[in-house]
Amino acid sequence: MNASAQYRYDKRRWPRRLSCLLPLLCYQADSSLAAVNNLQIHGFLSQTLLYTDRNHFFGADGNLSADYTELGLNASLRPSSRVLVAAQVMARRVGDSASDGSPQLDYGVVDYQPYTSASANAGFQIGRGKLPLGIYNQTRDVAFTRPGILLPQSIYFDRTRNLGLAADGVMTYVERRLSNGTLRFNFGVGVPLKDDDVERALGFQGHPTRIDPKASMISQLQYEHDGGRVVAAISTARVKADIEEIGGRRLDGEFYFQPIIFSAQYNAEHWNLTMEYALRKREFSGLSNPALNSQVTGESAYLQYTRLLSEDWRWLLRYDLAISDRDDRWGYRQSEVSGSPAYSAYARDWTTGLQWSVTPRLLLAAEYHYVTGTFWLTDRDDASKRWNLLLMQMTLRF
Amino acid sequence: MLFCIHAYAENSTSPHDLVLIANPDSRTPMSISRETARAIFAMRQRSLDDSGAAIEVFVLPDASPVHSRFAKQVLGIYPSQLRLAWDRGVYSGTGQAPNQVTNQAQMLDRIANTTNGVGYVEREWVDERVRAIPLR
Repeated sequence: MNASAQYRYDKRRWPRRLSCLLPLLCYQADSSLAAVNNLQIHGFLSQTLLYTDRNHFFGADGNLSADYTELGLNASLRPSSRVLVAAQVMARRVGDSASDGSPQLDYGVVDYQPYTSASANAGFQIGRGKLPLGIYNQTRDVAFTRPGILLPQSIYFDRTRNLGLAADGVMTYVERRLSNGTLRFNFGVGVPLKDDDVERALGFQGHPTRIDPKASMISQLQYEHDGGRVVAAISTARVKADIEEIGGRRLDGEFYFQPIIFSAQYNAEHWNLTMEYALRKREFSGLSNPALNSQVTGESAYLQYTRLLSEDWRWLLRYDLAISDRDDRWGYRQSEVSGSPAYSAYARDWTTGLQWSVTPRLLLAAEYHYVTGTFWLTDRDDASKRWNLLLMQMTLRF
Repeated sequence: MLFCIHAYAENSTSPHDLVLIANPDSRTPMSISRETARAIFAMRQRSLDDSGAAIEVFVLPDASPVHSRFAKQVLGIYPSQLRLAWDRGVYSGTGQAPNQVTNQAQMLDRIANTTNGVGYVEREWVDERVRAIPLR
């Protein structure tokens, strides 16, 4: 039911669309945790300014852009102890992408927990659920759950974000408490979302392509030790989609995306260290033009350090590496075959940033990226190899 | 600050020790493990036994020193981690946030008047309206 957004967005129309939601952002409860018969309503608004010195990213193109806004509103209710009903509507506007600010159902689930005890619980969610991939995916659009403004693009890439964001289906979960830790397992089957960005990214050299996501699966095993001091997880997914070329020669192929993500995090009182490593297998098969059938495994890794400088200030330092093809790490072969620059096959990103929690409801952040390579850009081929990206963000929440 | 976990023990006598409390009518067991207490206050535990009776969790504000001491000394978790756990639940559709009270007097009132209420206060605040739950 993901209404494919019109690619062209109208700057004048978007504020009006959201204006109906804005009064809710001014809603003030006695405390930030409004609970009326356990009905809870929460929301957030993030506005970001971006500056790139060269390449095109999120609407910035060698200039300053304000084309990056995230707005979310959710409600949850426990009608009985075993049931949780929760839904969130999200409006996201990002320059030069399918996110045009129109409200979308971000998630909408009925969560039933038939088994519960002091040491374990198990249940399932039916509906549109967020996918537990890596450490940050489930709340990737919520600024105050992120270590910085942009998540590491090697793993949480925004170019084809919708395929890994949420799915319509069933997610089962089991949680078991150990003597000093908790083991958590999620397994889900569902149909992922898609949007024009996915079709653009997976399309063939300008041919309009239709991507039809099919039943896919996801699983995550996570262990939290000593109250979350150490977190380790393995996430896997097998996403399947049909491909059809519109107009011209018909293509009736299949696309498989199979990421496996290893995550590790150490949380001390004033700092934390996070590492994630992913192998991303992508496979095109059954296409009428055999030359287009391919199987490529990409690689992603980042190392991230955050430190509390004071009660309200947090500093971030990160190195992030994305590689399109493990067998052609620096893109030389791809460059020979397709003529595109070798540096479009990878991206190395040094990031540093600051987050300032001005009040519990207001978060300000600034972030600088020095990037070599253009792998995670939409227009990779005519982009410069080395570029700088500066972001500033204000987030309000209730 | 040197951080060490100080689990609440039976023979502890300081009036400022933090005590996990529940409504006397609640089905909360006579004692619970620290891992279960962590799950309750991280809002990952909706019920305490297989009866499925819901629990209502109450906390003091993030900035409250009592909240911070409870998180660190009793649960062995930093307050920022608790906040992140709540946010991740609330914004992913997998959980809710706890009920926030402004001070310990209000905490007692709310626990006393909420059948399945669970919270915490300093030992000197405990009165007959609530039941202290030792951690094992």
